[in-house]
Amino acid sequence: MKRLSFAFVVLATAVTVVIVLSPWPKAVWAKTVKIAFIGPLTGPNAAQGNGAKNCFDLAIKQANASGDFPYKIKMVPLDDASDPAVAVSAALKAVSDRKVVAASGHWNSACALATIHTFHSFKVPFVVWGAISPRITEYNYPEVTRNCPTLVQENVPFAKWVIQDLGYRSFSIISDTTDYGEQNTKAFKALAEKYGAKILSVDAVPVGTTDFRPILTKIKGLDPSAIYFGGVVMEGALTKSQMAKVGLNKLFCAVSGLADEKFNEVAGKAAEGTVITKPGFDLDELPGGVEFKKAYEEQGYGEPMGAYGIYAYEAANIILEALRQVGPDDKTAIAKAIRAMKYKGILGTTTFDQNGQTELALVTRLVSQDGRWVKWGKSAYARGERSLPRP
Amino acid sequence: MSELIQQSINALLLGCNYTLIAIGFSLFFGALNVVHFSHGDVCILGSYVILIFYAVGRASGLLEVLPPGLSVPVLIGAAAAVTGILGAVFERLVIRPFRHAPLLMVLVATVALGLIIREAIRVFYPQGSNPQIFPQLLPGGGLHVAGIPLRYDNLIILGVTVGLIFSMFLFIERTRMGAAIRAISQDMEAAMMMGINIDTTVAVTFLLGSGLGAVAGILNGAYISIVRFDMGLMGGIKGFSAAVVGGLGNIYGAIFGGLVLGFVETFASAFIPGGTAYKDVFAFLVVIFFLVFKPSGILGEKAYEKV
Repeated sequence: MKRLSFAFVVLATAVTVVIVLSPWPKAVWAKTVKIAFIGPLTGPNAAQGNGAKNCFDLAIKQANASGDFPYKIKMVPLDDASDPAVAVSAALKAVSDRKVVAASGHWNSACALATIHTFHSFKVPFVVWGAISPRITEYNYPEVTRNCPTLVQENVPFAKWVIQDLGYRSFSIISDTTDYGEQNTKAFKALAEKYGAKILSVDAVPVGTTDFRPILTKIKGLDPSAIYFGGVVMEGALTKSQMAKVGLNKLFCAVSGLADEKFNEVAGKAAEGTVITKPGFDLDELPGGVEFKKAYEEQGYGEPMGAYGIYAYEAANIILEALRQVGPDDKTAIAKAIRAMKYKGILGTTTFDQNGQTELALVTRLVSQDGRWVKWGKSAYARGERSLPRP
Repeated sequence: MSELIQQSINALLLGCNYTLIAIGFSLFFGALNVVHFSHGDVCILGSYVILIFYAVGRASGLLEVLPPGLSVPVLIGAAAAVTGILGAVFERLVIRPFRHAPLLMVLVATVALGLIIREAIRVFYPQGSNPQIFPQLLPGGGLHVAGIPLRYDNLIILGVTVGLIFSMFLFIERTRMGAAIRAISQDMEAAMMMGINIDTTVAVTFLLGSGLGAVAGILNGAYISIVRFDMGLMGGIKGFSAAVVGGLGNIYGAIFGGLVLGFVETFASAFIPGGTAYKDVFAFLVVIFFLVFKPSGILGEKAYEKV
């Protein structure tokens, strides 16, 4: 019996030594650190959400391959379906997982405004990659930062371009009733008046509205020189296609809510001549932009990266840089490191103001030409070969 | 003045859509005294059925085989027939078992059926969560009459709706099956004693109502150029409201109710400052008004019950 016990102890010791010294247990027991990604993976804005998720995933893969981290980093993709209630459920799922050290989220402002309180309550660092309502950072929660420009920041160069450069002087505004729509209306109205343009009408529609004919017929009677759309892709595309159907041949313009090829797909031929701006630079002209696009293509993701994909990629890298600096164990330290960061990324150097809002805010001008968004400078409109509706 | 005419046309087109859905509600209520709350989802199912047929037709080249101008009516007819049959199947599976049960049970069963239809579209249709672009089934372009643009697709929608309502009228008033539907809606037991096959008559009623609903869904898709899996929820509520305003159970009342709702919504958007955001509120205020002051609706009859 004693022999049997001794043999058992020897065997157990040998097995333990083998396990500790062999290479595979590291893989089994290596620490895993999770970073949550939240965005609209289904619903009307799924194209934006999935593109951003892929870019976020690319950053995580590159970090794991870099060998900079003594642990495995895992992305936890969560769907907000562009619905604040679903977004809060996703946020609660993220914060209740103890391995989630930070999160990044949302394309819809309404979703971000619903979840930031959750991340603040649970002291989980949260970087907003695509929601652009100014109110998100006005709370000044230490855990919340945003690396994409607000719609106010975005509306300034947009209004200057459309009013001062293109010469449109009277506008009808259509927006949705979400916070994003309201903030856009407020920002553009103030800027338009500042630059000497008139606002003839303001209409707000609930998200999901499909029939814009009554509003467009009314606007037709007002005869503005342009229509400013303060909403997002699906409603924008339907508005533009129905403008043609009621015989309203006016300039249709917006900020980055329409910066997605889905707009051109849904609006079809009617999309032609729509002008928008989107935050950021043209990737092809940025150091590292071409490599980023190549790396994205090599991964073979099913969806295009979308207008905000680069911001999701940079958000992931900002979180990863904070992990490099302070490690994954103290979430408060991670949040502080993010706030204080001077991150040199593809878009330029991102720094945050006292509210956690990025100070890097530049836009690219785009026009819809032959069924796709084309940079204004390279378009037939800028060359004078085609003309926009008369101001 | 031209704006008023243009807005009236917009209202008329919206009213057409509500009317076709409301007729289904009134048919079902008239025949069985049930409110088929998944009817709106059946309508949207119709637009997804035509999307599938269109994709199959294009991929197989069948659409090119048909003479120009005939492919779209054939597609719409086939989608309406399939949706009509599905509607009859839903009645057999979900409504008939509760024929002698309390009305609340049927109501819950149909609400559940609507949820199943919505989720089935979302899960099983490729990228079902996202809005689907509707193919251009109706011709573009149009003409100007006294400075008012009249689009061909709008005229077709109006024409098809009027044609369907008229055909419906002829069917109900002039055919044996129509007489049977009227009979069971008046008194089911007496109709049964007169030799009318209740099950068949109810199945035909659901086939007819669901087929009409499918056409409503298809025309709505053609009108706005997209369709989304959850559109049936609001469409169903609006269609039911139109039926209530017109007089639930009265098919001709459904026409009035649909038009009233269409005009209220459109004119609220057009002529009330800031009304666009609250057009649904105005529409439902009208419904509440009728429920309070004229519960029998525009054409409904007062029912006296001896207690």
